[in-house]
Amino acid sequence: MPDTLNYYQKNNSKKGLIIDRIAKNIFLSMAILSSSFIIIIAGIILVRGIIPFTTDNLGIGRVSLLRFLTGNTWLIGQTFASNLYSIGFIIASTLFITILSLLISFPVGVLTALFIAKVAPPSLAKILRTVVETLASIPSIVFGLFGAGVILKIVYDFSALIGYQSKGGNSILSVVIVLALMTIPTITTISEVAIRSVDQSIERGSLALGASKTQTNFKVVLSSAKSGIFTAAILGIGRSLGEATAVSLVAGGRRSGFSFDLLDTTSTLTTIMLEGLKETTGIDYDIRFSVGLVLMVVILLTNLLLNAVKRRVGVVNVKE
Amino acid sequence: MSKNKKRMIKDGILQGITYLSSTVSLITLLAIVLFVFGRGYKLLNFDLIVENFESQGYVADLFDDFIFCDCPATIDLSDDFYYSEKWGIALSDGTDLLGKNIIEIEYIHPDSPFKMVQDKGIGEEPIILRTDYDIIRIAFEDYPTALSRYGAKNMIDSLNANNSIREIEFRTKGGGVRGSILTTIYLIGMTLMIALPIGVGAAIYLNEYAPINRITKLMRSLIETLTGVPSIIYGLMGLAIFVPLTVNLTSATGGNLISGALTLAVILMPVIIRTTEESLKVVPDEYRQASLAVGANKTQTTFKVVLPSALPGILTATLLAIGRIIGESAALVFAIGTSIKDDVSLTGKSTTLAVHIWAMMTDEPANIELSATIAIIIIFIVVILNIIIKIISSRYLKQKMGASS
Repeated sequence: MPDTLNYYQKNNSKKGLIIDRIAKNIFLSMAILSSSFIIIIAGIILVRGIIPFTTDNLGIGRVSLLRFLTGNTWLIGQTFASNLYSIGFIIASTLFITILSLLISFPVGVLTALFIAKVAPPSLAKILRTVVETLASIPSIVFGLFGAGVILKIVYDFSALIGYQSKGGNSILSVVIVLALMTIPTITTISEVAIRSVDQSIERGSLALGASKTQTNFKVVLSSAKSGIFTAAILGIGRSLGEATAVSLVAGGRRSGFSFDLLDTTSTLTTIMLEGLKETTGIDYDIRFSVGLVLMVVILLTNLLLNAVKRRVGVVNVKE
Repeated sequence: MSKNKKRMIKDGILQGITYLSSTVSLITLLAIVLFVFGRGYKLLNFDLIVENFESQGYVADLFDDFIFCDCPATIDLSDDFYYSEKWGIALSDGTDLLGKNIIEIEYIHPDSPFKMVQDKGIGEEPIILRTDYDIIRIAFEDYPTALSRYGAKNMIDSLNANNSIREIEFRTKGGGVRGSILTTIYLIGMTLMIALPIGVGAAIYLNEYAPINRITKLMRSLIETLTGVPSIIYGLMGLAIFVPLTVNLTSATGGNLISGALTLAVILMPVIIRTTEESLKVVPDEYRQASLAVGANKTQTTFKVVLPSALPGILTATLLAIGRIIGESAALVFAIGTSIKDDVSLTGKSTTLAVHIWAMMTDEPANIELSATIAIIIIFIVVILNIIIKIISSRYLKQKMGASS
């Protein structure tokens, strides 16, 4: 608040001042509470997540952290009574899937944004913007249902066509398609804002130099908006990495061995967490928090890496 | 000239690619809508919303003093229905949600002996047969039992051939989503009751009171970080903190409505704070100065001048929150659980519409039809919410522009 107001505040009655102080402290405590949640979340996941590595898990034996992070067998379940919990191959397939889905959603999303912002006639742009907004608001579980009901069939028929017996279509390819469809609206919305905020003078300069409208759009507008577009990609990656229920309906579940085969079943960090759902105690319960911890670290590292890249890519003056 | 032509072709191709890319979103939306309506419209009716999910079976007998109906049907019956004038009941063949053959009661004459039957189980009350029940079997004395898998025609023939029955087994339809709808509504109410005061309070502090310094900046970035946390991680937090908390303090035994609401409240915090703060920011400083100048203290100014002006923003935050609650699945799988229940209580197990879909889709065999029907309900609500948010923000913008000009 501007300092000029303090003058009026001083003239207030003493009672008013006490009420003000109480109110301020209440609001302050709410703000502190809100901002402490992230610390609480990180703390509790860390505390619960290290249990499998520090205790002997009711006689099963300590899980080796190194093997957990690098191995390729996930032997969950009381029947096995083993401490062979490794998610190395799952981390790899999660990253693999995320990159593949971004390879689809990023170009499509950015080009859609360019179309809405620069190419399309206003009425068409308005319709498309509504379409993208509606898609963005459709909950992920509906995308998962769509994947299970439609995309699985398409992938299954496709794999049958090329002489491959896929497990009902549950495959890396299905996951990639579902994730790509889900992230396109996110990328489009944010890219569009970035494209719109490109300074008109840059555009006019390009046109004045004899470039065509399309050349300007692709070479000048897109590269001027690259910082914002990069942010869109970062958010898209975050959404892909963290998506759980939709992916679990089309992944198929894989317990061992990493596979680059697009038509083979797969597991991601999130689906593996959902698998041990029924457990309430023991290592099968605790290990979920370890996987959650890994997921958080993966997301954090990707974000740090991408933000570093973003700074390197640099910012063309988007606005004066 | 040729260079120009080449450029035109290249431009045409590039432009074509943007057209093509934008059709992807359009096709996706159309495909999703077509899919959920195509698969889900069959089950979409009002009964779905008021019916229980679990079907309830009954075994019953006719009252001893029953009299035959011997009456023609009072309404026109479809050709697929089999009607017995003797008993005054019309049946038809149908399939249940799992594709099994069932016999549906289509019509009962007001004078039919089946209108009201005697419960042979523990219930004392007579049961009124309703037209949406399924008959599992009708058993007779010294006559083969008419089972549902023999079809409706056989059952009507058997009824006509007999003068009394030993017992009739039937069940309510089930497959309704009343419990999950109730849970979702309760959850929306409870979550907002927890999240709105805290979120709006935090926004007020950040916008009205907070000094511009490092601590405030840290607070903001901590809150902002919450938006990047995937919802399944929130679910784990709910499982680790709120579920044990509610189990210890209440009669709950596992995930419950309270733990779900608390978890959702944390998820919604950044959305509510950001949206509210944005609307607080556009309240002109003159309002605050004017209020303070006429002798109001800061608290009065905040509650009576600033907050009312920011009301559309708070309303938008509320609607955004409702949309998120309806769509949330991953966090609630852990924080509430996946058991589909018809009896909803604060500390009991039950689940929301979105998790209902997930639970049915991960079950064997997956129930795509009912899931698609629920998806129609969810999409419908979400689209309505979006339209309302748009109306509010456009009105609000107009008002703002009118005030400033």
